[in-house]
Amino acid sequence: MFEQNQKTIFVLDHTRYFSIASEDYISMDFLKGKPSVDTGTGAGVGGASGLGTQFSKSLWTCACESSIEYCRVVWDLFPGKKHVRFIVSDTAAHIVNTWSTSTQNMSHVMNAMVMVGVPSRSMPQSSDYSVIHGLRAAIEALAEPTDEQLATIASGEPVHIPNEGRVICITSARDNTSMKSLEDIFNTVLIQQNALAGPPAKKGLAIDHCHLVILNIVPLGVESLVTNRGLLNISPLLDVEIHTVSAPDISHKLTHLILDHYNLASTTVTNIPMKEEQNANSSANYDVEILHSRSAHSIACGPDFSLPTSIKPGATYETVTLKWCTPRGCGSADLQPCLGQFLVTPVDVTSRPSSCLINFLLNGRSVLLEMPRKAGSKATSHMLSARGGEIFIHSLCITRSCMDEAPAIGDGPGGRVTDYRTTELGQLMKMSRMVPLKAKDPTAPGLPRRMPRYFPLTNGSSILFHLQRHISWMPHFLHLLVKEDMDKQEEVRCQQHIHELYKSASRGDMLPFTHTNGARLKLSKAKDQYRLLYRELEQLIHLNATTVHHKNLLESLQSLRAAYGEAKSEPNSSLLRSYTESPHSPERLEPIPSGGSSGSNSNSLLKASKRRMSSCGQRSLLDIISSAERSQANKRLDFSGRLCTPLGQVAKLYPDFGNKEKDSLLAGTTAAPNVKEESIRS
Amino acid sequence: MPTLIALDASLSMLRPVPGRNDHTYLSLAIKGIQHLLDNLTAAGKLEHLALLSYTTTAELKVDFTRDYDQIRQAVKKVEPVDKACLLTMLKTSVSIMATWGGAPNILQLVVFTDCGLGFGSTSISSFLDTTLADKEEEPEFAWLTTLTNYNLNFICLGLHGDHYFTRGLAVYQQLLDKAGLKGQLFMPKPTKAADTTDGTSNPISNSSHKSELGRTVVFELVERLCEASYKSTEVVLKCGSYFRMEAPVLLWPPTSPYEQPSPVFGRDPTIRHIDQKIEVCGFLALSDIGSPATLSRHWVLPKVEREKNASRRSGGGGVTTKPPKLTLDANNPNFELEKLENDIRDFYAKDPKDTEESGDDADVTIVMKHSSGPPTEQQKENICVLLHGALKLENMAALVLVGEKWYGFIYAYTDNKKKSNLMLNVLPPGTNVIPWIGDLELLGFAEDLAPGETASFPVRADRRSYSQSSVVWIRQASLQSDVQKVLRHAKKMPDKTQHFYKELNRIRRAALALGFVELLEALAMLLEKECAHLTMNGASSECTLQLQHAATELRKTSNRDIKSTIVPLQKGAPEAGSAPAPGYMY
Repeated sequence: MFEQNQKTIFVLDHTRYFSIASEDYISMDFLKGKPSVDTGTGAGVGGASGLGTQFSKSLWTCACESSIEYCRVVWDLFPGKKHVRFIVSDTAAHIVNTWSTSTQNMSHVMNAMVMVGVPSRSMPQSSDYSVIHGLRAAIEALAEPTDEQLATIASGEPVHIPNEGRVICITSARDNTSMKSLEDIFNTVLIQQNALAGPPAKKGLAIDHCHLVILNIVPLGVESLVTNRGLLNISPLLDVEIHTVSAPDISHKLTHLILDHYNLASTTVTNIPMKEEQNANSSANYDVEILHSRSAHSIACGPDFSLPTSIKPGATYETVTLKWCTPRGCGSADLQPCLGQFLVTPVDVTSRPSSCLINFLLNGRSVLLEMPRKAGSKATSHMLSARGGEIFIHSLCITRSCMDEAPAIGDGPGGRVTDYRTTELGQLMKMSRMVPLKAKDPTAPGLPRRMPRYFPLTNGSSILFHLQRHISWMPHFLHLLVKEDMDKQEEVRCQQHIHELYKSASRGDMLPFTHTNGARLKLSKAKDQYRLLYRELEQLIHLNATTVHHKNLLESLQSLRAAYGEAKSEPNSSLLRSYTESPHSPERLEPIPSGGSSGSNSNSLLKASKRRMSSCGQRSLLDIISSAERSQANKRLDFSGRLCTPLGQVAKLYPDFGNKEKDSLLAGTTAAPNVKEESIRS
Repeated sequence: MPTLIALDASLSMLRPVPGRNDHTYLSLAIKGIQHLLDNLTAAGKLEHLALLSYTTTAELKVDFTRDYDQIRQAVKKVEPVDKACLLTMLKTSVSIMATWGGAPNILQLVVFTDCGLGFGSTSISSFLDTTLADKEEEPEFAWLTTLTNYNLNFICLGLHGDHYFTRGLAVYQQLLDKAGLKGQLFMPKPTKAADTTDGTSNPISNSSHKSELGRTVVFELVERLCEASYKSTEVVLKCGSYFRMEAPVLLWPPTSPYEQPSPVFGRDPTIRHIDQKIEVCGFLALSDIGSPATLSRHWVLPKVEREKNASRRSGGGGVTTKPPKLTLDANNPNFELEKLENDIRDFYAKDPKDTEESGDDADVTIVMKHSSGPPTEQQKENICVLLHGALKLENMAALVLVGEKWYGFIYAYTDNKKKSNLMLNVLPPGTNVIPWIGDLELLGFAEDLAPGETASFPVRADRRSYSQSSVVWIRQASLQSDVQKVLRHAKKMPDKTQHFYKELNRIRRAALALGFVELLEALAMLLEKECAHLTMNGASSECTLQLQHAATELRKTSNRDIKSTIVPLQKGAPEAGSAPAPGYMY
């Protein structure tokens, strides 16, 4: 959790020496976009030449831009996880930012650097000016805890908190002796600092280990007396390495070092087809190099796959070259078997190919990357895609997987059942779609409470849900029944519906089932349908009984069931009365002997229901929408003309009518559209 | 779990099993393989199997397939020749398994052998003594490293009274240990008789061997193997509160335990298994989920109660007239509901029958299927199928909680042959594992939002350097393109004045941050040159005035401050003077 690279501190030497030029000259003509001609002789149109046709960055600018580039990469790849601080050293140490997240970003550092400015050329060379101040401050900074370390301390675990870090010092030393004294001072201060962290003072965290990287920079073409040295163990607390680089090369050096510091790897996406600026018709292929965690490569590879690597001219590290696959309509929606996703950042963020690739990805498209295989075939080993404004490299599973061939669900248990309530569950899913919240109320109902308590899986195991497609008031009735906060008024309405059912039952009306194909049910069957309906209603209410109103409904339903069950022999009048004479029952029942009428007047239930519907009112918006959606889903396909006309506009009938008339004059023009519409309707 | 079945086809396998004249070691091994196939068939024929026979050479008889009949046929045709060389076989298996290589697959190797040791330089003992000791690092033996990723299972056929066999066992175990291979030897349990009568026992006449090695014993070994390696993970899937929305399911391939590093530094990792009940917490659009890193993928298959089903089928055979009812347990808490559902199904099912009786031919094409036999597993409704259908219809995934602060998602996966099934992707443990979805514990429903609050995916991160207009001048070309942009705007100045100053200030601010004051002077000079050039070519005076103004401002040391911004020259007196300029042109 607290690795060495979680804390990095740049110590930038801000002494007078750093104001000198890096001697890496930029020609003015080059800036204007003309082919770079050797110094001075740029006989341009303006005619002005000679003095000031070229200029150079100072050593300070080189140090500054390369260290800022280093932290650009770190913050792009490990936002909020890895921290980088800057300390500028001249007569004293100037702290540019802290470990706090608010100062761990590019704009803070850039703004602070404006205030630091270039080292003054006119200041006297004195011993007050030194990088030592910065190094001392860096050690103090290492002892300061980061937010994560503070959180761990606060969590109260009485454990040792690992505290390691890295200091990258960009300076310029005269010779090996002065370098040696830098090391010694650093080591001494480190030990002193840890002594302070000890029991009496308890100032800051003890530093477990520090990795000091010294970059000794010199202007271009200048020899340095300081020798390069690899990692050397100075003390148990301190490892030091020294690199001498000419100023223009610091960035390269740091890019190379950052790979090891953060265990990064480089991938070059090759063959990116890009339109030329000048000639929009042709396209040329470009390469873009990106950096990301090394795991993106290692995780994808089995023992028998190796990614193709190459070394770019001028670079000192390997990059994996993967070929761009032009996405064939595949959005980032396609779910790829992914073993790991890692943030990426382009090595050269400002180049045109980089920004083209970035914009392509940020606009929501994803790119598969191909690697060649041993047998000459290819495999898509990685995918680049952007989400939430961040670009990720996904390592895909390239080996054969036992998941490649699906056992068909139709062959499995339950696979032959055809009347699942799929659309209904689909509706529920859409209504239970999750969104990211800023804070969550732990008492908010979870999915089990949002899903219906009564939900038969198939249409064939429910009468209620079958009927709701054919009786218009049924959906609303069912909705009222499951309401957790049913009130008196709603109870009355439900009672009315139940009563309606009872009336139709006593008349012996057929319930509108579609799949009986209008065939007449036997008498026993006609009775069965109501018995089952009552039983189902009872179960539904029973499962949802949360209020006293539910209990009332349940009671009246149970008495109704009892009444209906015995209606054949002799209606249980006492039970019936108790129900029908309850204050909110609409009217007294006059039971018609069952079996007196059959399927012929089955519509009366529907008619009565329609009357009720108009008065029910007060439906919530959700009800209206969801029932509208449900009925929409159950309907047959809408008139095609309406389907292809934008909402709010009038669909044009027979759009081709005029054309055809022109073409074929009068022949058959009247018949053709009719036929066309018929075919759509049918 | 791709499995390579390796059959020892050495001549020693032709020995008759002592006390069992009807069996040779080979015939027992073949019976064992058949039994393994039977077991895997019963488990759904999901495993990919391959068959290899080995002697001094190893020969792939059947490549990886789910068509087990191929293996059944091929295994009968294996004919023993010469001696066994286990190491050749192991080496060959690595190349056969290569297509499967890689993290997500667990590779199984099942070897049926009498534990022969081989002879001479190719023997296991000589390999252990010479090769493993000092040549392991050589590239020639790279396959050994690959082999450590496999699961090796040896079905060891032999008698404990047989010293040749017991020595073989010891050497095989030694090989596993020394080469660091994951594996297990499945061997018959030694009988007591064999233990006690060590010196006097005659393998052929000893009656105890009858029970020590035979068909049942081999079957038992195979079953132990299946139990150890091929058992699907069994969990309960719950999606809502209705009892039908909860059902036992099998996860295949079985889930592996996850080793979670301790949050406290330096402590042992904890081994985590997924919960017995996995519960759907809500639904997400597949397009919102994208392709996040997953720990493992599993088919979610309805669990079939096999034995019950078999008995039901045999019992139901006699029933003819009435559609048989499922035997329901009245003590079941959902008895009422199940009974109701059955009655309703019966109600629907009776319809066509009644119409048939009424002799109405037009009604034969009834929607409801009417089966006279008991419902098969395929005809019994299952939540997995409904869930699959709805998820596929809506292009959604169900987020499931598989453990404490551990999630996965279930969705309808369609392979390239358009076959589809329900799949579970197990995410790495933790609540913040998909950056663009955010904290999974903070996912809720639209109703949970505070009034006026809106929320949608993806969860946006802070802007990264590539989505800001970063300035990096490490390469001269990028400095050049920034300068050219300013100059381009300069040429079109009256129209592009705002753009010109915006770019100019961007460069100026970056130059100040990097202490690149040299650039400010250079830019001032470039602007002056441009100004002179444009004047000669008769550009508008507005343009030249602005260029001159910009150059002057760039040089001012008072402008070297973070807060200052160079603003366009205000249209004042000079503007009035230049006003007639268009008139001249005209």
